[in-house]
Amino acid sequence: MAAPFTRVYRPLWRIITTTTLNKGVRNVSSTRQQWSAQNVKTAGVASPWALHGAVCLQRLPVVSQDRSPIEDEFMELMHQMELERSLLSDHELRLLEDAARMSRKQEEESDEEEEDYRDKDIFTAQDLEDIWEQKLKQYQPAQRSQGVDEKGVSSSERCLAESLILLVKKDVGSQKLWLLPQIQWQTGETLRQTAERALASLPVGADLKATFLGNAPCGFYKYKYPKDIQKEGSVGAKVFFFKALLSGHKHLPLEKNSFAWVKKDELQDFLKPEYLKQVRRFIMAL
Amino acid sequence: MAGIVCRTASQIISSQASCSSVLAVRHSHWFTSVLSLKTSIPLRAEPKKKKKVDPRREIMMKERLKKKLKRLEKVPPELIPIEDFITPAKCFDETRIRDAPKLSFEESERRALLLKEWSRYKYSQHQTEMDTIEEALEAQRQALDELKLESEELYKAAVSSDMDLFPFQREGPSYTPPITNYEAPEGKYNNITRVYTQ
Repeated sequence: MAAPFTRVYRPLWRIITTTTLNKGVRNVSSTRQQWSAQNVKTAGVASPWALHGAVCLQRLPVVSQDRSPIEDEFMELMHQMELERSLLSDHELRLLEDAARMSRKQEEESDEEEEDYRDKDIFTAQDLEDIWEQKLKQYQPAQRSQGVDEKGVSSSERCLAESLILLVKKDVGSQKLWLLPQIQWQTGETLRQTAERALASLPVGADLKATFLGNAPCGFYKYKYPKDIQKEGSVGAKVFFFKALLSGHKHLPLEKNSFAWVKKDELQDFLKPEYLKQVRRFIMAL
Repeated sequence: MAGIVCRTASQIISSQASCSSVLAVRHSHWFTSVLSLKTSIPLRAEPKKKKKVDPRREIMMKERLKKKLKRLEKVPPELIPIEDFITPAKCFDETRIRDAPKLSFEESERRALLLKEWSRYKYSQHQTEMDTIEEALEAQRQALDELKLESEELYKAAVSSDMDLFPFQREGPSYTPPITNYEAPEGKYNNITRVYTQ
């Protein structure tokens, strides 16, 4: 089994913790240099931090983003410039020929010997264009944007143009908090397996198929238990986040009050500030 | 066998020859005229023995073929033409040139300014992208440091490479979302790519 580290850090911790705000859940940011200097390996003493594995399940965008005004303008310009610098295509040549032929026909109505109608196609290029137009109209694509908040926060079909993160409402101590799905680490498994278990342990976890991106965590969050819960040997908890991408389409709608699919800018409405600060770092919404 | 028969026959006939006229008596069609020279092809002879010249001739033929093959192999193989690098003849057709429109001064100014604006926009976009990536990497590095402090085994497990991840495939975003239970119409596909062999 793992031989965990021990650290001798007691006096520095007291100094740091007294300066932080007094909330139900205390958040600590430490300096790495101090810890590495005091790294003493002694077997038999368990680490006072409880380990948790959490999963950052992301539903990537299904539909491309809308263009910003400058992108629109630039696209127009590029189309124009490319058209100006191009050569005439076969279809365009045909259009010109047909137009010339029609004008000639109208001018010299009797002179038809030169036209071999039998050899030329029955359709003119303009007719072909109309036929293609008709065929296109027969196909109805699905709607791009679903309108403003047509779907609730708990549906994974909302905001198709952006990536969404799954949040779960959980009891932590006495409060109900919105968190990324997390679960306690058990001895004998790697943290990635803990994260997978966290995903599977959700009530609809079996339905959410996810691809985990690698074995390494993408971020972590550390918090100390409030003083009354702190026992000997457990100071607080460390949560390690793992990134996963949601695979597959069409998921069942989840329970509204306990699940939410949120965009990056909506995260601040759901998460606590310190937690949010750490989580924002590894969520990329470009 | 035939020789022995002929000799006995000649003995019989010579004994009779004194009394009768010399006539070639054929008791059977198998015996040709005894007194004439043996000019027929022996019909039951042994197969012809191979003369020594033949194996030598065959060896010579094989060597000549091998030399020809070597000469052919020495020639370097013809290079396969890259179709993309050869401009098709269509592009040099003069009837296809468009009349270039004349741009007014305002139009050309607008274009130049828009291009500059675009480069500024793209630069800022790139900067934000790079910053986001840097921050995500930093967060991961710190997470791994914390894990190392916690337990060496877990750290090693985290740092080990994931075999199941690659090859990784994912469909990117499209313009419209996919329609549920959509059956695409079947179409024909004529593959006209040219295949070259060396």
